[in-house]
Amino acid sequence: MVTKTEESQLNKLENQVENGGGGAWEYLCLARKLKVRRSDKVLKYGLSILNDSRKRSSLGPDEWTLYEQVAVAAMDCHAVDVAKDCISALQKKFPESKRVGRLEAMLLEAKGSWEDAEAAYSSLLEDNPFDQVIHKRRVAIAKAQGNISAAIEWLNKYLEIFMADHDAWRELAEIYVSLQMYKQAAFCYEELILSQPTVPLYHLAYADVLYTLGGLENLQTAKKYYSSTIDLSGGKNNRALFGICLCTSAISQLARGRNREDKDSSSDLPSLASAALEKEYKLHASDKLSVLTSTLKCLRVSS
Amino acid sequence: MAGAGGGELKYELAQNAYVKLVLHALKHKTSAVNGVLLGRTSPKNENLVQIEDSVPLFHNHLGLLPPLEISLIMIEEYYSTRGLGIVGYFHANERFDDAELGNMSKNIADHISRYFPQAAVLLITRSLKLYRKGKIAALLCRFVSYASMAF
Repeated sequence: MVTKTEESQLNKLENQVENGGGGAWEYLCLARKLKVRRSDKVLKYGLSILNDSRKRSSLGPDEWTLYEQVAVAAMDCHAVDVAKDCISALQKKFPESKRVGRLEAMLLEAKGSWEDAEAAYSSLLEDNPFDQVIHKRRVAIAKAQGNISAAIEWLNKYLEIFMADHDAWRELAEIYVSLQMYKQAAFCYEELILSQPTVPLYHLAYADVLYTLGGLENLQTAKKYYSSTIDLSGGKNNRALFGICLCTSAISQLARGRNREDKDSSSDLPSLASAALEKEYKLHASDKLSVLTSTLKCLRVSS
Repeated sequence: MAGAGGGELKYELAQNAYVKLVLHALKHKTSAVNGVLLGRTSPKNENLVQIEDSVPLFHNHLGLLPPLEISLIMIEEYYSTRGLGIVGYFHANERFDDAELGNMSKNIADHISRYFPQAAVLLITRSLKLYRKGKIAALLCRFVSYASMAF
């Protein structure tokens, strides 16, 4: 997961390189560090460095890391021949390497030979059963073949061993959401919130899932988590502000049949949220302010 | 593309609407995307639905209700002043060889068709397909070839 400052830094570098200002190597290093998926740019800039023998030799030992990075980017962009060339260069330099073996198995995966790739990964895992990347590639193979239940199974097995891998928990939650298995997705987000309670993204996603599940209790909990998101993100999160308005409206719709619970303590909350939203819109999108006000009115009217 | 009398529904997709959706799908190559189609029934021919515009919606977490509700309300508000309503739903799957309309898309499309019974679902696959809610219209093939010729 990338912070806003890191992302803006990356985008700045990308613009700079795109407009001929140089800095390709810094961009590639940053992309590798942040583990973002910008394969088309990485491929373009990486190849520009690798194909120029002067630039390549000026990299020194980092040349091989660059080969690896470009090979993976090429496979993501379906430039299988480029990937093959990079991997053969690496094979010549490091003949018995497990890391290169992993790349070769990924190449099989990129070509679509699923069984061969699976076999290669299993044999690599026998030598090193704790290689996280290979476990995750197995999940990816299942997902690419459309076998989502196998992907879920592999991912669950992986998480039993590597419980601290936040990205894997997020991936599992997203898969569950796409299959509309919201209770399981909620569980994944709960794990994430337990291990990293100060990341507002997880609170927000958890609140969204709770709202989608529905039911009075879930809606009330969702409202609390939207509030904690706003708290953690310093009030800047529009989705959470909207979430509060939605929750209030939905809760009062559900509670209409029963006794009106005293919600005076939190009755300021929706009006505060609406006020904050209106301020944001005035600042950034003043021409859409009328749409916002009518939406908020619609939510309040239906409540 | 003359329609027979009584019941054969036709859809006209404006270039702007189509291009916006395809660009949205291209920008987020690695995730499923969705969007809504906006338009109206033609005043001259009640069997013709003119899809004039589209709004791309999300590119991850398609199954979450809060953003969807807010965006549908806002889109209705914004476009009703321009005389357009939500007439359909657009979806593109994560994998390029996945040509199935998932459960979630069906639910959203059902919801839309409750407000507009002639709603359409546009599923972008390797070959363009347009499903009419409930059945695949026979004129589908002709529509597809027209669309591929135009773009």
